Amino acid sequence: MSTVAPHRPLDAAVIAARDREDLVIGNEIVRHNRASRLIHWTVAVTFLISLLTGMPIWTPVFGWMAHLFGGLSVCRVIHPWTGVAFFIAAAVMFVQWVSDMRLEPDEKDWLGPKALQYMRYQTDDSNVGKYNGGQKLYFWAVSLGAVGLLLSGLLMWFPRAFPRVVLELAFLIHDITFILFAVSLVFHIYLGTAAEPGTFRSMVRGTVTRAWARLHHPRWYREVTGEEPRRKA
Amino acid sequence: MTSQSLEIRRSSASVWGSLSGMRTVPTVSKYIDTTTCIGCKACEAACVEWNETGRVQTVQTGTYQTLPTLHAQFWNLIRFNEREVDGGIAWLMRKDQCMHCEEPGCLAACPAPGAIVQYANGIVDVNPENCIGCGYCETGCPFDVPRFHQTTGKMAKCTLCVDRVDVGLEPACIKACPTGCLQFGTKDDMVAMGNARVAQLQANGFAQAALYNPDGVGGTAVVTVLAHGDHPDWYGLPANPHVPWGVKFWKKIVRPLGVIAIFGAVIGAFAHYTKFGPKEVRGADDRNANLPQG
Repeated sequence: MSTVAPHRPLDAAVIAARDREDLVIGNEIVRHNRASRLIHWTVAVTFLISLLTGMPIWTPVFGWMAHLFGGLSVCRVIHPWTGVAFFIAAAVMFVQWVSDMRLEPDEKDWLGPKALQYMRYQTDDSNVGKYNGGQKLYFWAVSLGAVGLLLSGLLMWFPRAFPRVVLELAFLIHDITFILFAVSLVFHIYLGTAAEPGTFRSMVRGTVTRAWARLHHPRWYREVTGEEPRRKA
Repeated sequence: MTSQSLEIRRSSASVWGSLSGMRTVPTVSKYIDTTTCIGCKACEAACVEWNETGRVQTVQTGTYQTLPTLHAQFWNLIRFNEREVDGGIAWLMRKDQCMHCEEPGCLAACPAPGAIVQYANGIVDVNPENCIGCGYCETGCPFDVPRFHQTTGKMAKCTLCVDRVDVGLEPACIKACPTGCLQFGTKDDMVAMGNARVAQLQANGFAQAALYNPDGVGGTAVVTVLAHGDHPDWYGLPANPHVPWGVKFWKKIVRPLGVIAIFGAVIGAFAHYTKFGPKEVRGADDRNANLPQG
């Protein structure tokens, strides 16, 4: 006969995850505190609305998205403002996270074939700290991309204030930056949900399990628990 | 409002227009002879009157010109240019308005389905019902014609009086012209008339006379006779207008590649999941194993 624990929505780990990070509580480790999760969701929501209002303006292939907001002319009004909100959120996120995102020398390999090896589950992750090289590069790409989208977007918002050649360039920069954003975002969401189960909890609960940390971020696991993540064979 | 009774050859942000293929419609054109224009501005008045665009405060620029450039409520502007030519003064007047390009850059740049249309007869028109006022058409236009209307938030420009042409009338500006320097008819007739006038001018001492009907935009539905045909810039016309390369590259190359890339990423993620599956956590992973509160 098994005993069932009473349901307690606010357990110790969730309470700790309000303002602490890198703290071990039972089987869980606090990964993202509330401020960190809040800024990530702010970036996510402002970007998502910008995406859904921008894509129907970009091409009629995604014209159906405009109906979610009441038509293309509504999208045209909403898009620049949520775009600015996204930039502000991304800037705050940058300040909040940048200290964790300094690239270590060997992590520059992630720009090359290492990203593909990672997707094939072929990389040796034993030295991966709180964030792996791919996550750090994605952070820098998002921060840089946010600046590119803002500057080109402002030009497109006020076309009569700028010369035509500059505007043509702005259209191209906004488009290319967005395409790179969209493609990498697909993989960002996929990796954070379906591909790596247990990750999404860190964005809602703020915690991950010990087993998750051992698998994906062994060095971080060592640092926060003081235990060796893997037994020597 | 776009004309409901005319078939549409091309529509912005759309794959097809509404051509049924059953009707054959001749392409129409305005004919402007700058050499017989006397700068009376009757066409300006007629345009304002017929299209009911209201009054705009004039701006004194030191010439007879009504406004420095076209305006959302002023679609037809006689430009007055003075220039020293061979020791004398050439007083050059040109009727500036939408050129109704065969390949309209505004239509190529426009993101709103049906906001800019090209009718079967070649007239390019803005449909305010679909226009979102983004101003992309300004970047697309090689002639700097479309204008943003501050009050309505829509773009506005010459319609070539499509509402008149539709019912068999000539455009208002043509109707008002007292010298006959403005004519209206099929594109073929207007080009023939223009070529005949150019030959006449060349025989009368204007060896450089030419008909302005630029190939870069596939020709225009406004053909202009220029006495100084080797210097269209003297009249405020671009020498070699074309849809901007940036707009073409953006719409014809970057955008389709981007759509493919985005769908590719989604398909790629699914393919990855089916081939490699999730990176499962092994070992103790019981989320209920937390210490209870307190």
